[in-house]
Amino acid sequence: MARVRTTRNPLVVAAVVLTVAAAGAAGWGGWSRYDAAHDDSAAYAEARDDALAAGQQAVQNMNTLDHAQVEKGLDSWEDSTTGDLHQQLVDGRDAFVKQIEAARTVSTAKILSGAVTELDDRAGKAGVMVALRVTVTAPEGEPAVKESRMLGQLTRTSEGWKLSALGQAPVGNTAG
Amino acid sequence: MTRTGGTTIADASSTPDPDEEVRDEEAGTTQEPGAPRKAPWRRVLAAVLAVALLAAGAALFVEGQHLRDTPATSNRALTDTAETTRVAGDVSSALGKVFSYSPQGTAATKEAAKRLLAGKALKQYAALFGQVEKQAADQKLTLTSQAVRAGVTRLGTRSAHLLVFLDQVYEREGKPATTAAAQLSVTAELRGGRWIIVDITSR
Repeated sequence: MARVRTTRNPLVVAAVVLTVAAAGAAGWGGWSRYDAAHDDSAAYAEARDDALAAGQQAVQNMNTLDHAQVEKGLDSWEDSTTGDLHQQLVDGRDAFVKQIEAARTVSTAKILSGAVTELDDRAGKAGVMVALRVTVTAPEGEPAVKESRMLGQLTRTSEGWKLSALGQAPVGNTAG
Repeated sequence: MTRTGGTTIADASSTPDPDEEVRDEEAGTTQEPGAPRKAPWRRVLAAVLAVALLAAGAALFVEGQHLRDTPATSNRALTDTAETTRVAGDVSSALGKVFSYSPQGTAATKEAAKRLLAGKALKQYAALFGQVEKQAADQKLTLTSQAVRAGVTRLGTRSAHLLVFLDQVYEREGKPATTAAAQLSVTAELRGGRWIIVDITSR
């Protein structure tokens, strides 16, 4: 046996080694591919970016309203929200339309920066913080520009992430 | 891993192989050793198989890398919880220290800034601090800053971007304190095991 092995064609040995290496490479490549497709952190990172994009857009929508197109603006508010916040907007809509049409203001918002502060991918809940600049133009006088900071809670729905709570980040309430 | 796997399988497969070879040689006794054997298709098949396996392995591996290395995954904010917490903590604590001073304590603040800031942030700070020192002394002004919320926008291996909400309490002797809100975009770099602030932009 040993004698036979020593006289073996080195080419055959090389071919066997190459084949085994190739099989190993295929196996490893396949495992790597499978692992990547089932990588939880990749899915989590995607969810984080989706939540931030949706959160920033929703905060911008909620700070944008033109009295001349108040119905369209409020539709966008309702589209950006879900849960209790959505219900509040629906319930208060008629009163709000009257209020805005009387004030005749135009509000526009520019998102300056935002970050996801918490994300529960499984529960479909996320928290975002957003810094924005809001410009309110009344029929008379100079437009009022205000820097604002907001905290939002997002809930994942079948139509993507939507705001379930939104408020100004409190100032001077550092104890909390 | 590949190496050990390779050797074991090579050893196992080499056992039946010599028998085959012996049989081949017996069948073709008239042939000189080393002369081309019959059935070259077997070698061709083996070669094709090896190449196909290599190609499949490489293709799958590359595909896996593409799935893994998206712009989303290169940002480790929140996916790396420990480092996200650490950078937010380091930056929050640094901002609290460099934006807090009392009329008597400006020297301590300056020292803290030299440790906690670097690059552009330190230059900007140094340019401003002359005024701050004077103001603190003249108006007996005490400023206390606290980062109330910090979010990591982007986390790389050596650098990070954050959004920080800062509360600043101004106290002048004999006057009620006033609180102001500040929103800062901060760039931090990991230097010597600590996150150092290299750029601050007020939002």
